[in-house]
Amino acid sequence: MDFSFTDEQQMLRDGVGKFLEKSYDFDTRQKLVNSDAPWSADAWQQFAEFGLLALPFSEEQGGLGGSISDCVAFAELFGKHLVIEPYLGSVMLAGSALAQSGHAAAQEWVEKIVSGEAVAAFAFEEGHGTASPELVAMTAQGSGDSARLTGEKRLVHAGGDADAIVVLAKKGEGGPLAFYLVEAGADGLDARAYTTIDGRSAANITFTDVAATELGTSEEAVEKLISEAIIVQSAEAVGAMGALVAMTGEYAHTRKQFGVPIATFQAVAHRLADMKIAYTKARATLIYTTALAESGAATPRDIAILKGQIGKLGRAVGEAAIQTHGGVGMTDELSVSHYHKRLLACDTTFGDHAYHFRKVGMG
Amino acid sequence: MMDIVPARFAMAGTTGREMKIEFAPELEAFRAEVAEFFATAPTPAIREAGRKTTSVFAPFKECMEWHRILYDKGWVAPHWPEEYGGTGWSVEQRFIFAEEYRKADLPPLLPQSLGMVGPLLIDIGTQEQKDRYLPGILNGDDFWAQGYSEPNSGSDLASLSCRAEPDGDDYIINGSKIWTTYAHHANRMFMLVRTSTEGKKQQGITFLLLDRIDYPGMEIRPIVGLDGFPEQCEVFFEDVRVPQSGRVGEENDGWSVAKHLLKHERGGGNAASPTLMRYCERARAAAEKTPSPFGGMLADDAVFQREIGELEADIASLGHFEKLAISGHEIARDPAFPSMNKTINSELVQRASVLMTQVSGVDGLARQLEALRVGSNVEPLGSEFDLVSMPLYLNSRATTIYAGSNEVQRDLIARTVSGS
Ligand SMILES: Cc1cc2nc3c(=O)[nH]c(=O)nc-3n(C[C@H](O)[C@H](O)[C@H](O)COP(=O)(O)OP(=O)(O)OC[C@H]3O[C@@H](n4cnc5c(N)ncnc54)[C@H](O)[C@@H]3O)c2cc1C
Repeated sequence: MDFSFTDEQQMLRDGVGKFLEKSYDFDTRQKLVNSDAPWSADAWQQFAEFGLLALPFSEEQGGLGGSISDCVAFAELFGKHLVIEPYLGSVMLAGSALAQSGHAAAQEWVEKIVSGEAVAAFAFEEGHGTASPELVAMTAQGSGDSARLTGEKRLVHAGGDADAIVVLAKKGEGGPLAFYLVEAGADGLDARAYTTIDGRSAANITFTDVAATELGTSEEAVEKLISEAIIVQSAEAVGAMGALVAMTGEYAHTRKQFGVPIATFQAVAHRLADMKIAYTKARATLIYTTALAESGAATPRDIAILKGQIGKLGRAVGEAAIQTHGGVGMTDELSVSHYHKRLLACDTTFGDHAYHFRKVGMG
Repeated sequence: MMDIVPARFAMAGTTGREMKIEFAPELEAFRAEVAEFFATAPTPAIREAGRKTTSVFAPFKECMEWHRILYDKGWVAPHWPEEYGGTGWSVEQRFIFAEEYRKADLPPLLPQSLGMVGPLLIDIGTQEQKDRYLPGILNGDDFWAQGYSEPNSGSDLASLSCRAEPDGDDYIINGSKIWTTYAHHANRMFMLVRTSTEGKKQQGITFLLLDRIDYPGMEIRPIVGLDGFPEQCEVFFEDVRVPQSGRVGEENDGWSVAKHLLKHERGGGNAASPTLMRYCERARAAAEKTPSPFGGMLADDAVFQREIGELEADIASLGHFEKLAISGHEIARDPAFPSMNKTINSELVQRASVLMTQVSGVDGLARQLEALRVGSNVEPLGSEFDLVSMPLYLNSRATTIYAGSNEVQRDLIARTVSGS
């Protein structure tokens, strides 16, 4: 087995990495987060040029036919730079859901997403514990092109800014799951937009008898889509962890107290060691699970192990980084706290580590 | 919660007599009186501030209003000696007061004035300093900031370099301080300055009271914290002239003054366990309304119960430790006591806040700075519990850093365990 990135993936990493290094440094990112813009249109355009927006889609759909490991290759860099653009929601989740559907309207949206012309949001979460698709309670009335949606979705990334929203709901009372397409501005949509603690634009959306187009789907397809999103999100988390380990190590070797670098205190040195162990363990599980998923062999248990580990280890690394930085780690000015908030968001979205560990334990 | 408080704790171990833990009936009347006052005296804004306190430092304005109300009632400083404005309550009464205070979710009073500089002046201030400063601390006219830390002197406080040069009856201060909590609200400040570079670094430090915080040459810049709120500040001094009469203790003897004060800071005049239990109660109440992803409500979920149970057991132990300590038990005379108290307490605050964010789930991920402000007309996205849990978690990352980081505390504790 070979778990290294291919030459092509390495090239993609180099390109995306250079771009982010140059145009997405922390100060620029903070200006963006504190501005009125939900994300950077320029960065989004660049992602389109790198082919990232086309990557997961098949060639027939105007995509590049990329694989999950291609996405992991650059997503680590997204985490390293705390990218706030809605890649996961628009491309990995809403985009894939649309791509699965044979509906003509869905295909049109895929084209627009691939070209960067449109952004779609993915409405899945309903509050607590909807980490598994089978727990989605929202129910659609009617079918085909005349479905109607009523209910509430929360933490919809880009939900207030997207051109289209893909909603997961049940087909009638107790029916199977299906995706529904809702266009921005539809009657009965009420989005309350906000910024998340990790700087992304999101919304809680109330649907009151909203006109929707049924896109269809199967339980398995939903499961796969969310599993892949979890893998990509985990890659972002691992990227953030790596950045924290590096900057905390550097800080501990330069910050002096009692006349010596704090890294020379055993309590600090051992914490640095634990951070590195956590990061390495998380990255190993990420890469291995990605390989499993790529070969079609990843089970729900594998995904739960990944999600649980990333959530727990990510939190631990973030907390250790803040503690090691002391007072400065507590500030908004330094990136450390922002990395930690991204890791908290990764842990919480799609079910936190406690939830996934329990899934693993249930066998 | 804990309704039974040792009525005569001092007995066990020290005198050989049996320890009694029943409550004397007259104390129940006292409890009722306190509860009644807490139910009626605070304004709605003060209550809101109490519920929206996401730090050990409550929202300033409402907190000081509440301070004033307690002052008028004569209850603002139960831990002070009666002659200086304390209540003269027994240990049991003080504990009941603290318990009822937490149950009512009222804003905690700010520690720097009543908890630090006040007791310090009572212990070792000159008569003139007491006359001059204690009344304003009690009635809340004054609010003191604590100027110890510097950009290059955190854990190694003795390395501080902000300099004070004697000049006639004054000192001239140059340098800077950082992490000074609420300096942007304060009107006075106590600080450590370097007055000599000779000998051991601890020996050239002096403790100063500044009777104002707006001396010419002083500049205060708030620092925004990871929760989005300005709580700490940087304070800059450029040729700031202050009177030497503000010195506490002798010149160059500030280290022992500061060590004395530290006992008040770390020892914690106020018991923390009732607050922590209150966090658990709130988490439990929220969990009763939160569906578990495994069916039923989160509060009925076995894993949640195990987790909150372990946490509550640990908090209960802290409560036992605190009660023994305030009863004068020998554990409080252990030289490691303040460090142990600080370590246990700070880590429990963090664990409780983690549990709270777990109950809030995705609803904790929204950044809702506006809704958190007292008097805000912005509706929170979820419940008030969800609004508070994440900022509380983020802010509580500091509890293991300030007042001497937990690594440094463990070093101090370890020293008392060694064979020597
Ligand atoms: C919320 C908050 C409020 C505060 N309020 C005030 C205030 O009002 N007034 C005031 O003067 N200060 C205040 N402080 C400052 C606080 O006291 C310092 O942050 C603290 O002393 C740590 O110093 P530092 O931040 O410089 O970290 P550093 O001392 O640089 O420590 C960084 C890391 O190194 C570790 N470390 C350092 N020395 C050792 C050692 N010998 N062995 C093992 N590990 C070690 C620390 O534990 C920490 O993990 C506040 C801080 C915070 C976060």
